[in-house]
Amino acid sequence: MASASSGLPTSGGFAPATIADFIAMAKKIRAAPVSPRSGKGKPAKELKRLRVGLLPSFTLKGVGETLLVKGREMGLDVESYCCSYGQHALEALDSKSGLYKFSPDIVFLFVDLQTLLGDAFFKPYAVSDESRRNFVASKLSELKLVVAAIEKNSKAKIVVHNFEVPSYSPLGILETKSQFGFLESVRALNAGLAETFRNNSRVFVFDYDSFCSRLGKDGVDWKSYYLGDLKLSLQRVPALCDEYLTYLRTLASLSKKCIVLDLDNTLWGGIVGEDGFDGIALGPTPQGRPFWEFQKMLVALLERGIILAVNSRNNPKDALKVLREHPYCVLKEKDFACLKINWSDKVSNMKEIAKEVNIGLDSLVFFDDDKANRQVMRAALPPVLTVELPSDPALYCATLQSLRVFDSFQLTEEDAGRGKLYAQERQRQELHNVASDLSEFLAGLGTVVSIERATSFSIPRIAQLCGKTNQFNMTTRRYSEDQVKAFASSKKFEVYSIRVQDNFGDNGITGAVILEKAASTWRVDSFLLSCRVIGRKVEDAVLHFIVAQAAKAGANNIVGEFIATEKNEPAKGFYSSSGFKLASKTKAAKAPNLKAKKNSEDVELWEFDVKKGFGLPKFIKLESKA
Amino acid sequence: MCVLTMAKENQIRKIVASVLGVAASSITGETARNKTPEWDSFNHLLLVSEIEKQTGARFTMKQVEQAKTVADLEKFAAQGKD
Repeated sequence: MASASSGLPTSGGFAPATIADFIAMAKKIRAAPVSPRSGKGKPAKELKRLRVGLLPSFTLKGVGETLLVKGREMGLDVESYCCSYGQHALEALDSKSGLYKFSPDIVFLFVDLQTLLGDAFFKPYAVSDESRRNFVASKLSELKLVVAAIEKNSKAKIVVHNFEVPSYSPLGILETKSQFGFLESVRALNAGLAETFRNNSRVFVFDYDSFCSRLGKDGVDWKSYYLGDLKLSLQRVPALCDEYLTYLRTLASLSKKCIVLDLDNTLWGGIVGEDGFDGIALGPTPQGRPFWEFQKMLVALLERGIILAVNSRNNPKDALKVLREHPYCVLKEKDFACLKINWSDKVSNMKEIAKEVNIGLDSLVFFDDDKANRQVMRAALPPVLTVELPSDPALYCATLQSLRVFDSFQLTEEDAGRGKLYAQERQRQELHNVASDLSEFLAGLGTVVSIERATSFSIPRIAQLCGKTNQFNMTTRRYSEDQVKAFASSKKFEVYSIRVQDNFGDNGITGAVILEKAASTWRVDSFLLSCRVIGRKVEDAVLHFIVAQAAKAGANNIVGEFIATEKNEPAKGFYSSSGFKLASKTKAAKAPNLKAKKNSEDVELWEFDVKKGFGLPKFIKLESKA
Repeated sequence: MCVLTMAKENQIRKIVASVLGVAASSITGETARNKTPEWDSFNHLLLVSEIEKQTGARFTMKQVEQAKTVADLEKFAAQGKD
């Protein structure tokens, strides 16, 4: 199983294997205050703290301990709270319950089917199919109430288990002949859960049925169920915790962003420098298929926003020929954000990859078939997740599937395109390196700026940008989706999204503008651009647009506001160099979550006479339906 | 009747010591549920689960209820593997 070097402060190399091991290890951790560097442990202050609330409808023990131990291995300090036996609904509904006093960051609601259905679980056919439909609807409503209460009483993310579809029915082979049979009703319940929370960004449905299928629905420990109401076998708790940790990792922003790949015997069978272009195994043959399908799985990850890079000791010519010309090489040169194909050491390459892609070492995953390379990488760069790739290529796909480190709580179109975006950025950078001046660079880029009024599709992205753009941001006003929506629907405001495309690809929506329109003066409340697209005259094109719109509406002047922060140096001189005049400084208005520089609450007001006009920069094309 | 080997006996005692969080040397056949504060109802179920997992033994529900000492656990574990 893939694992970075263990962060467990153990002696004697004891690796927990059974649930009792986890419980014992948790006891040790809790008893001893974490010492600075015992073994390979991280100092306590480096661990990210997470508070986990557990609401099981039966006796669920060992989860807190297992999460604590496994969490440490990945830099998490997990503290848990479990509701009292039988109190899961009450603790959710009572705003003063222990659950809320605990202030959880995330809550797992685990209701088992038997508790939910009561006696109907054993005698499902005591009622008619019609009755069963109503019953399912009422159960779904009950669950919605409980979840709604948690949403109301806390800010936690919520993970709701769906229900294990039983593998037994008293009807046997006739089960599927019912109009709305027992097993079908449980599936309907699960479908109802999924539908209910599909568009709720705070609530996730955990596919417990799928989990049970994977482990085997026959693995029930009946004794401990009858004796202690343990509806999940103790030995399955570690596996459940692995699932829970995928949510915790994501919550702590520990997800990996980039996969770095070796080439020989990793992306294809054989060594291209020795076996030649025609001699490597890649394609529909038995030997080539494991690599071919491994590449296809990597493409799927690229499509959902994971960045890919290459770290290979090879002659660039030999390796690139495969990437460019091999008919079964699904991954192409253009799919990689960074290619280190040379005779340098892989550790240096890895550091350069991190630098060039501009992400931390702890965001990287490394695949290499060579055990020695892996050991060196683990020792030299512990934050990189060096996957323990099995020696049998037939297991590569399964290994990739078992890595649950790429999760995210949301996936906007921009997120999904990130992998390709970085690859395109590499190509842009190569152009920049050869262009002799800015004009030549801009001419080669062929930038197209599209400015549209905000729509229900673009509002989430605009809010996202308001929340995270720091550098080219005139006023750094952090607006929520609801606030952006309010501006967009107000007649006194205009909200625009800014999308940037060029000859290398589509950056998507990477900027936003919020304007307040009075009869003679238009105020620029927010003007922000992602750092990805600054320095190429996009900001000038946007200003041209604003001035043109103001002129069309008959306004006399535009007032641009600027609030200095620690990070928005790149935006500082823009109004000045664009011909605006500093009119005055005033105290900052009550803008929400303002991130002004310490000791500076000054809003600079820069004025521009609309009649002057502001030209569109050369080499930029402006598209707008506004 | 199948008699446990010395190795299996030691394994079970090791498991008991580990689950209860006490020194292995303090565990004997006479170590009893009602005389050992750490040996509560949950740890009892955990013990059974661990012994089953690590030795392949299978307890019946009745045996779990009836096991009062470590010797009982060893006896039932031996029976369950016939």
